[in-house]
Amino acid sequence: MKTLLLRLLLVCAGIAGAYIGPASAAVEININRGNVQPLPIAITDFISADGIGAQISAVIEADLKRSGLFAPVSRAAFIEKVQNPDQPPRFEDWKVLKAEALVVGRIVREPDGRLRAEFRLWDTFGGQQMMGQQFFTDPKNWRRVAHMIADAIYERITGEKGYFDTRIVFVSESGPKIDRKRQLAIMDQDGENVRMLTNSNDIVLTPRFSPSRQEITYMSFEGQQPRVFLLQLETGSREVVGNFPGMTFAPRFSPDGQRVIMSLQQDGNANIYTMDLRSRTTTRLTSTAAIDTSPSYSPDGSQIVFESDRGGRQQLYVMGADGSGQRRISFGDGSYSTPVWSPRGDLIAFTKQSGGKFSIGVMKTDGSGERILTTGFHNEGPTWAPNGRVLMFFRQNSGAGGPQLYSIDLSGYNEQLVKTPTFASDPAWSPLMD
Amino acid sequence: MKGSLFTSSFLHGLVLTVALVSLGAPEKLEIAPMESLPVDIVPIEEFTQIQKGSKDAPMAEKSAPVPTKKPAIAEPAENVGDNEVDLKAPPTPSKRPVEQEVAAAPEKVETPAPTPDAKPNEVKEVVKEETAPPPEPEPQPAEPAPAEAKPAEPVPAETAVAEEIPLPESAPVPPSRPQPEIAKPVEKKPEPKATAKADAKQDTRTRETAKSKPQMESDFNADEVAALLNKTDAAGGGAKRSTDQEALGGKTDTGGSTLSQSELDALRGVIQQNWLITPGMADAADVRVRVTFRLDQSGALVGDPEATATGGSPSAQQVLMSGAVRAVRKSAPFTNLPPDKYDAWSEVVVNFDPSELM
Repeated sequence: MKTLLLRLLLVCAGIAGAYIGPASAAVEININRGNVQPLPIAITDFISADGIGAQISAVIEADLKRSGLFAPVSRAAFIEKVQNPDQPPRFEDWKVLKAEALVVGRIVREPDGRLRAEFRLWDTFGGQQMMGQQFFTDPKNWRRVAHMIADAIYERITGEKGYFDTRIVFVSESGPKIDRKRQLAIMDQDGENVRMLTNSNDIVLTPRFSPSRQEITYMSFEGQQPRVFLLQLETGSREVVGNFPGMTFAPRFSPDGQRVIMSLQQDGNANIYTMDLRSRTTTRLTSTAAIDTSPSYSPDGSQIVFESDRGGRQQLYVMGADGSGQRRISFGDGSYSTPVWSPRGDLIAFTKQSGGKFSIGVMKTDGSGERILTTGFHNEGPTWAPNGRVLMFFRQNSGAGGPQLYSIDLSGYNEQLVKTPTFASDPAWSPLMD
Repeated sequence: MKGSLFTSSFLHGLVLTVALVSLGAPEKLEIAPMESLPVDIVPIEEFTQIQKGSKDAPMAEKSAPVPTKKPAIAEPAENVGDNEVDLKAPPTPSKRPVEQEVAAAPEKVETPAPTPDAKPNEVKEVVKEETAPPPEPEPQPAEPAPAEAKPAEPVPAETAVAEEIPLPESAPVPPSRPQPEIAKPVEKKPEPKATAKADAKQDTRTRETAKSKPQMESDFNADEVAALLNKTDAAGGGAKRSTDQEALGGKTDTGGSTLSQSELDALRGVIQQNWLITPGMADAADVRVRVTFRLDQSGALVGDPEATATGGSPSAQQVLMSGAVRAVRKSAPFTNLPPDKYDAWSEVVVNFDPSELM
């Protein structure tokens, strides 16, 4: 009797529940597919007394377009001519163009000689302002202001940190193939403002940015044997890292910038060492009869990925920051080299050589989920943009010519040539600048 | 050896030659040209709702069945438990039990009445056995009569043999029984009388069941229990509640009240097309966004779409929410929705799930 009543009660509750269901009466649909397409954005010329406003918007537009995530709407199609960036635009005019976002701005020269750049980002379909900011800067830095505005827009819309206000250090290669002149060079990430950092005939390789200071570590054949050097960008002063008996190469900074990790070659094999930049003490992390090289820290500094041929071919290995727990993570065909840990921490980029071709790929930190982003005659040396979204590498095509820099999105889309005045190799992306 | 080799190769050659000649290419598989049939999946209501209407009513703009009536709400009794009598509705000696709840109660009271013949016998037997030694069997037979109903009586009698005195005590105690007897007159509320005839009908129906029950005694009526639990009169069931003027048929057809699968697909397609996403976004795979928005008759947005998100990182949530809202705004106005089913799509909820896209 009691159980029967209980059952009845449950049935009644069930009926009541079923009755409430349709009463809410809204159509409900599920969407799990979208349109992988860049977001249409309209960038108007910033209002200014001279032509600098138009220049700045051109840089912003180029930045956003190059990211592959934005599709700037052609200015020829603009209907409304924005006169006053402080007033809401006529959204209808921009909706017709399918522009989902609109950037308007103004550049003013302050009495003290500085530039004031202000901009507003409008959501045209929502009819509201998404953000508005202003920057003050030296007129010479106008490109940097443009990059910062592009970063702000990028971050607001994609939810990830921008990477436009960054620089690339690379090895500039000029002259004929048999007598190549290799110099360290630095430029903005869009290929502008190229500046040579060294001017010698010694071969330089693998420049790497310090995560915290205006400092670069690289390898140079200067002197009797190849050594790892430190270069202060602002002063131009150089120094050799450590006093090792053999050749040191493949340097890289730790995430806190306090240590340099590199390979030391001795008796035909190479092992990995770190050197503390303050105390100048060195620590040996691996001791095998194989070549262990290309170490790269995880962003939290707790782990190191490196390549080693201890198993016969070059493969990727991961170990703790103190050299403990070494384990192999790459098991695919061919050989793997130049691993780089993503600043996001979730992926490792690498160069893979198999079937006579060189590929740039990424894998998860446990070695699973390998994805090849690009394959060709020779692709090598990936470096991550500081937001972990874009990779840059150098590519050499068969035949004449030299290496050039390319960038590619993590998704494998949007491969683009980075224009440099000379041939270029070994790019390294700077961290975000303050 | 040489001969057999020759024979073998000759025969093999022969077989291969024959095979080359006789085994041609297989015949082509002819596929008759077929026309594909467009199929529209529609809900059954599209047809059942067209046919709704009232047989003996004139044609109107819209077809509608006999309007359903709201059952009268029974007012709750006052001072329940505090008093024997409902104060605001003083007892009047009229007849009907109105509420089913009340109708159920009398059962218990009346059931003892027919049974006493059987029960005293049992009681007597039990009592006789136990009370054999003491010389006071006489008062006891008298006691069972007031006690009557209690089927639990045998139990105390058995356990406590010597305590015949507590038995009489317990008999008058049960407070539950006397109350229903007094309650009977209370139930006859004068108010229901004034209400509509329909109610009166219902009343008589309930009364009938109430009367018949005592006769069937232990018969358990599940419907009534359900009604008791729901605290409502049993409803007639049937189609959707209707408040429209009853009509035989409509000049316009209603087309049902749910969107067909094809119409839903069309709606989904429009929004999907306008949902621009960035593959490979950090922490975005676990984000789920739910956007709710209202539409007017022309398919234009009314007010702002409301978005909520769960899972993932706050920044990814923020970005996906604004992306989803943009997709909805961009899709508006929704012109391809059937106007006759406006009720169904006046409010739309869209769940965005980017997990397969990241």
